[in-house]
Amino acid sequence: MLRLEAAVPEFSPVPTVSTTAAFLANVRESAGLIRLDVSLARPVPFAAGQFAMVNLAGEHSLVFSRPFSILSATEERMSFLYRVVGRGTAALAGLRAGQELTILGPLGRPFPGPGAVGGKPVVLIAGGVGLPPLHNWLTRHGRPGDLGFFGGRDGQDIPWQLLDERWQISVDERTDIPAGREAWPGRVADFAARHAALQGAQPRVVFSCGPIPMLKAVAELAAARGWACHVSLEEHMGCGYGACKGCVVPVVDDGGAGWRNATCCVEGPVFSADEIRWDRYGKPAVPLPTIEG
Amino acid sequence: MALQLPAWWKIDPTAPFELGPRRLPGRIWTASGCFAYGLTGHDFAAPGFASPYEGLGAVVTKTVTPAPRAGNPMPRLAETACGAINSIGLENVGFDRFCDEVLPELERRGVPTVASLAATRPAEFGTMAARLHRVAGGFAHWHGVEVNLSCPNVAEGGHDFGRDPATVAECVAAARAELPDRALLAKLTPNITDITELSGAAINAGADAVSAINTVLGLEVDLTTGQPVLPRRFGGYSGPAVLPIALAKVDEIVQKTGGKVVGVGGIATATDALKFFALGAVAVQVGTAQMRDPFAAARIARELRPG
Repeated sequence: MLRLEAAVPEFSPVPTVSTTAAFLANVRESAGLIRLDVSLARPVPFAAGQFAMVNLAGEHSLVFSRPFSILSATEERMSFLYRVVGRGTAALAGLRAGQELTILGPLGRPFPGPGAVGGKPVVLIAGGVGLPPLHNWLTRHGRPGDLGFFGGRDGQDIPWQLLDERWQISVDERTDIPAGREAWPGRVADFAARHAALQGAQPRVVFSCGPIPMLKAVAELAAARGWACHVSLEEHMGCGYGACKGCVVPVVDDGGAGWRNATCCVEGPVFSADEIRWDRYGKPAVPLPTIEG
Repeated sequence: MALQLPAWWKIDPTAPFELGPRRLPGRIWTASGCFAYGLTGHDFAAPGFASPYEGLGAVVTKTVTPAPRAGNPMPRLAETACGAINSIGLENVGFDRFCDEVLPELERRGVPTVASLAATRPAEFGTMAARLHRVAGGFAHWHGVEVNLSCPNVAEGGHDFGRDPATVAECVAAARAELPDRALLAKLTPNITDITELSGAAINAGADAVSAINTVLGLEVDLTTGQPVLPRRFGGYSGPAVLPIALAKVDEIVQKTGGKVVGVGGIATATDALKFFALGAVAVQVGTAQMRDPFAAARIARELRPG
């Protein structure tokens, strides 16, 4: 197989679709997390972990579309989860009813499907806007014994409505916890490592999505127990389909350097954790220049 | 809403046209670095289009260098209000794999191709062109070479290389000598006082056309750190913001030298493309917009078909 950039991913059941969508609603799921609901002009079937490039249509469009993992979808509707962090997400937050969007998706390699986990229970560990691909996997494929963990800063940071009893929640600060709900203190990877359900000899498969330090901690947790681990990387992307090489991540390579750049949007965003060269992640290949004086 | 084509526009941009010794299948191309190697997106679907390649005159492939390159550190992209700054650093698979794997696959898939080449010594352009001629001389869909003399993100060559008319002429002449039957283009930097000196040098050295413009030198600052966003500080600025700059450079070239120009810079719509054709461009390339929409060039080609 010619692995140059975007050879057709062999798992992909359907072609990537370029379509339009109409804005339906921005629903606040927590203090910082907003669920974007759109009405699709054409269905965009996808696998859990795949993403779509989203943009405003027409004259208001951003120079680059923005990649969002798909939280849920039907033939007519699709939902994403985002936090306002910059120009693109601010534009989404300002959408008005009926405003037109463009959607390119599904894109990227998904998490392994339920048939590819070898019958082992799945542990899903999510942080912040890393929730959608794992939430989607658990909703579609979850079986008894599969368990989700979600980490946030405090009670206000937790999308309570999205997290049912299959999700264990941890927070850095135990404040603003709604009546009848529970959240345990600590970082989510540490919390998962200590959790009673994850002790013992039962082999498991771990899926994770969230900030890099969290993913690194999850990868270490899985490696220490000999569990397979798959992580979804959140990278800035220019195109989302392998054209621009703007979203490379360092992965293990048998060649001389020991690593190579993988294009996150087509070779990922889901990688096996042991494929990632965590030690090279975010490390510049050249010294950063400094301002004199 | 369908575009109302102006009365002066009579050309079908999806019809073949002559460029130097070669007949190319159309005038709407994708720009180098913006549609990878032309092997991506073949299975993409959009209403009414068979593929993103429909109606394209050429895919100018991602620039390849004699040896593979890992490219620049991340982050490599910075979006601004009206454009994007990139510092990819010519990450590419290298000329060997391009010849052995990419070009034969493009031929097999019937993708009209212009191969973009970069090197650090003028003679290397001749060596690479000669090998292309040997490997792909019989190919139906390989139409030409664009020598990239202007990538702002490569330390050892970069701007100084492409800013010197004598060096531009050397590079073009070296490639021309080995390309008897394919179109030869030179992609020029706009980051110079008088681009016509470069275009004149390229045309006189045997280029069939110049591609104008490559990206404009740009910088974005991250105010949280007080440092440039891109680790190498500067990058190549592209997108809608550079359209008027590209139009001005194209006009200068056409007016002062009469050389053929392939217009590139900020084209996102059929209207943008028409502005280049109005100034005398023989073809246009869609760059940054192709990254946002893989069907961008195909949509433009369709919209510009008269009747």
